[in-house]
This record gives sequence, C-alpha cells and structure tokens, in this order.
Amino acid sequence: MGRQISIFVENKPGKVNRITGILEKEKINLKAMTIADSGTFGIIKLMTDDNKRAFNALREKKLLVSLQDVVVAEIPDKVGAFHRIAKILENAKINIEDAYGFIVKEGEKAALILKVPDTSAVENILKKKGYKIIDNF
Amino acid sequence: MFRDEYLETLPQKELRSFQLEKLNRTLETANKSPYYKKLFRQCGLKPHADNLHEIRKFPFTTKDDLRKSYPAGMVTTPFADIVRMHASSGTTGKSTLVFHTMQDIENWANLVARGLYAAGVRKTDIFQNMMSYGLFTGGLGLHYGAEKIGALVLPVGSGNTHKQIELLIDLKATVLHITPSYLLYLGHVIEEAKIPLSSFSFKIAILGAEPHSEATRRKLEKMFHIKAFNCYGLSEMNGPGVAFECIYRKGLHLWEDSYYGEIINPGTGEVLPEGEEGELVLTTLQREGMPVIRYRTKDITRFIKEKCGCGRTHRRIVRIKGRTDDMFVIKGVNVFPSQIEAVLMETPEVDKNYRIILDRKEGLDVLTVEIEIKREYFRGDINQLRALQGRMTSMLKDAILVTPVVELVEPGTLPPSTGKAQRVLDKRRV
Repeated sequence: MGRQISIFVENKPGKVNRITGILEKEKINLKAMTIADSGTFGIIKLMTDDNKRAFNALREKKLLVSLQDVVVAEIPDKVGAFHRIAKILENAKINIEDAYGFIVKEGEKAALILKVPDTSAVENILKKKGYKIIDNF
Repeated sequence: MFRDEYLETLPQKELRSFQLEKLNRTLETANKSPYYKKLFRQCGLKPHADNLHEIRKFPFTTKDDLRKSYPAGMVTTPFADIVRMHASSGTTGKSTLVFHTMQDIENWANLVARGLYAAGVRKTDIFQNMMSYGLFTGGLGLHYGAEKIGALVLPVGSGNTHKQIELLIDLKATVLHITPSYLLYLGHVIEEAKIPLSSFSFKIAILGAEPHSEATRRKLEKMFHIKAFNCYGLSEMNGPGVAFECIYRKGLHLWEDSYYGEIINPGTGEVLPEGEEGELVLTTLQREGMPVIRYRTKDITRFIKEKCGCGRTHRRIVRIKGRTDDMFVIKGVNVFPSQIEAVLMETPEVDKNYRIILDRKEGLDVLTVEIEIKREYFRGDINQLRALQGRMTSMLKDAILVTPVVELVEPGTLPPSTGKAQRVLDKRRV
C-alpha cells in the first residue's frame, strides 16, 4: 500500500516555498504535487522518493501533515492508459476521490496515484488485471 | 427649541432635588423586587437616601447580576402590569431581560422624543427607522419617540437595502435612524448604483447602537450633505435615548431627570470628581417595572462641566471613548470574545486559540474569526475541513447573531490563550 503526504496550508504567499525548502534541505526528491484549494486554505498533496522521511521532516518543522493511504499503480506512459484503469474501476463501481500521477520513465512508465475509499480492494482488482502496484512510498 | 422646556431647563439645584425625590421613590420600588429586597436586607440598607451622595452606600449592579436574576428577579410588579420586554445579547448563556410597564414605555418615548426634538426633528418630518425591531431596543425605542413627536414613521427595520433606498426616494424621508456602519454601506450601494444624491431628501441622521468617532461623523456628513447626531443608550437603561446630542453637538445631554449618572474608577469603584474620565454608572430614576440601581455600563466617558449653549441644564457626557471590557460592536450587535471562546470550547476539532479581525469591506462590516485546527484531528481531507468550517460558521452565528467568516489556520500560529493575548484586531476606522 502506498501513502501520500497531505499538508494543510493557508492561502498565503510563501507557504509552498516553506515545504519545498524543507524537502531540498533533506535531499528528498519531489515526484508529484497537487493543490486542492478552498478559498483561504488548501491541502497540498505530495509524492516523494521517500515519503516516510519527508513526513517526519515536515512534521518536525511544525507543519500540519498527515499520511493517507493511496493506490500507486504503474501504468504505461501512453495514450489511454488511465482510461483503461478508470473503466476497470467504473465496472467495479468504485468512486475515484482524487487522482494524479507522474512520469517514471518518459515514453515507458508512469505512476498513477489514486485516492479511493478502499485502498486494498482497488489494489487487488488492479493486480488481478495485471497491474503492478508500487508500495514503497 | 425644547420639547419639555420646564424639565429640560430646570436649574441645576432644582434638578438635583428632583433627582433625590425620584431616587427615593426608585429605591422604594426596587425594594419590591426579589433581587433588591434580598440585597438591601443582606447589606443592612434601608431603601432611602438622605442626599444624592448617599447613593454611594448602595452596591453596584452588574450585567452579571442581571443575568443571575434571570428571567425576572429585578421586576417589581406582577406581569399583569408589564407591557413590554426587551433583551440584550449576553456574553454566554442567558441574555439579560428588561421589563417595562405602560408608564415606563411612555417615559422612554418622551425621553427619545426630547432627544429627537433637540436634534431638530419635528412633526412634519418623515422618519425612516432603519434599526431592527424586536428584542433589540433600537427599533421600537426610536419608533415610539418619533411617533410621540408626530413625525411619520416608516418602520423598515434593518437590512433589505434596496427596499430602503426605494422608500427613501419614494417617501422622501427627511430623518434616518441608522447605525454608522449601515449608513456607510448605504452610501456605498448608492454610489455603486449611480443614484444621484439629489434623489434623496434626508437632512438628519440619528446614529446609534455603535460607538463611532468624530471622524466617522464628518465622513458621513460630507458623503450625504447631512447633519448626524449621536444617540446613546443601553437596554438595561431602556435603550436609545439615555443621552442625546442637541444642535450644538458638543457632547450628549444625559437626561438627568430620568437617570442619575456617576463616573467611577473601573478598577476601584471609587466615584471620581466631576470632569474626570472613567466608567459611567447609571441609576434609573423613573422606571417602575424594573428599576436598576448603579448599573455599571462599562462605557468610558466623562461629564462636561460647562453649560451648553442650548440652555439645557442636564449635564453632557462626551462621546463614548471605549469599554472597560473587551466587548465590541459589529453591525450594531454587541459581541464579547468570550461568546466565541465558548463555541470553540465545545468543538474538539479546534484549538482554544483564536483571533477576531474586524474589518470593513465595501462599506460593510466583516467579522473574521481565525481558528487553529487541532493537530491530531487533521486527516488530509479537504472536505472534512470544509465541513468543519461550515459547522463553525453556523455555531458562531447562533452564538453571536452575526455571520462570521471562519478561517482555519495552522496550529501554533495564533497568540497563545494564556495571559492578556490580543484577541481582537479592529481594522475599521469608525
């Protein structure tokens, strides 16, 4: 099972800078980042090459962080790859709460991060369909 | 010039003996209420004063005393003789109630009428009352006073700005009763809608329910080409009309035939010499249904010694300078930070630290409450936070009667709750 880092941020200048600064100092490589905005505040979601260490470093610096279970599936970096997964989940009547991804190797491999109500159930479904689940995040 | 020349110009010496006579009647009446009866007995006090100075032997009455005697511990007469109740917002829990007999309502209306008359309001005027009606005293208080003068009263109440403007234009109101912040907002709306000022006929604005500065008055007067008059009151003392500005507008005449005023050191309770600044303490002198003895208003002011050019002998107080407590007024509503604190205490997901920011955006008062999320509560879910924000907004609105903007902030970013933290940041220039 993979985990993503969620960080509460007030919608003010310098808030993202603070996070990326901590990661740089810890020599942690940022893989992907999304921001969900809700007016005066938002939630930043991160995937790094070492989420556990990143989580601890951010928490130490008093940021409001939490780890959330997510499905991280390896998919080919080509047209329609996400669509196939979306279809599988639709057939299984599973709602995708959030999704984003990053390229692992240009033209070959990408990582797809899915936030779903039941992470292990989705992992099992995807495994059965032949997808590789990356769980070292 | 005067609505009641005899009373309004009563020479000081006669006014004082008038006060003493009324004070003694008030003490006797108060002694019929369960609260004062018990208090006088406990303190070994006879409900009598040989001279006005002797009022000092009677203990102060505080808002807390009013709350403890909820609902009707200070009422002197069966409800059969009571015709009206008003309430003021409380800090926490129960609001404080004030009960009036028919005669009390009549006296109150007369005081308001005197004040309006002193400001130049006459029976030919059209009086648009833009204060809310109901438990709040602002609406009904001025309504009765303006009717007493014989003006045509438009009881519009507060809010509904477009209807207000329509009526102002169509009925040609000449006098407004309004909070300074709402008048500022009205100016903004009129400007936005590009309505020429020549469409309006109002020449006088009675400003109440909110402390405001001389600068705000000047701004409003310039904005509308009107004269604005300051009106002071509090529900415990009836409501608006306790003190009123005359056309000289150099302080507010306290109607001393109906109120006995003292200025005290809020720390020691000691009565200060005339002219020194301190907390205003008021005693009702004419109220039957619910007399209140030496009520601590928590408003800071001082008496003006000099005689007023208008000829009224009732002493003036200066514009209220502030409060001895942390109460603030927003959209004409009194709010105590402790009311907000109480809501936070009931919500496990947030910390006890908070900050209140008062601001004015496009002429409208905005109350923002910054709240820290508790660390252990955070799950990284934005919907959870949105729901929390919505829940806090409605809980706070229920508590303080004003809809706040709730902003969630990171834990540890607000000043800590210990000590005298600066909880209220007022950015308005009122």
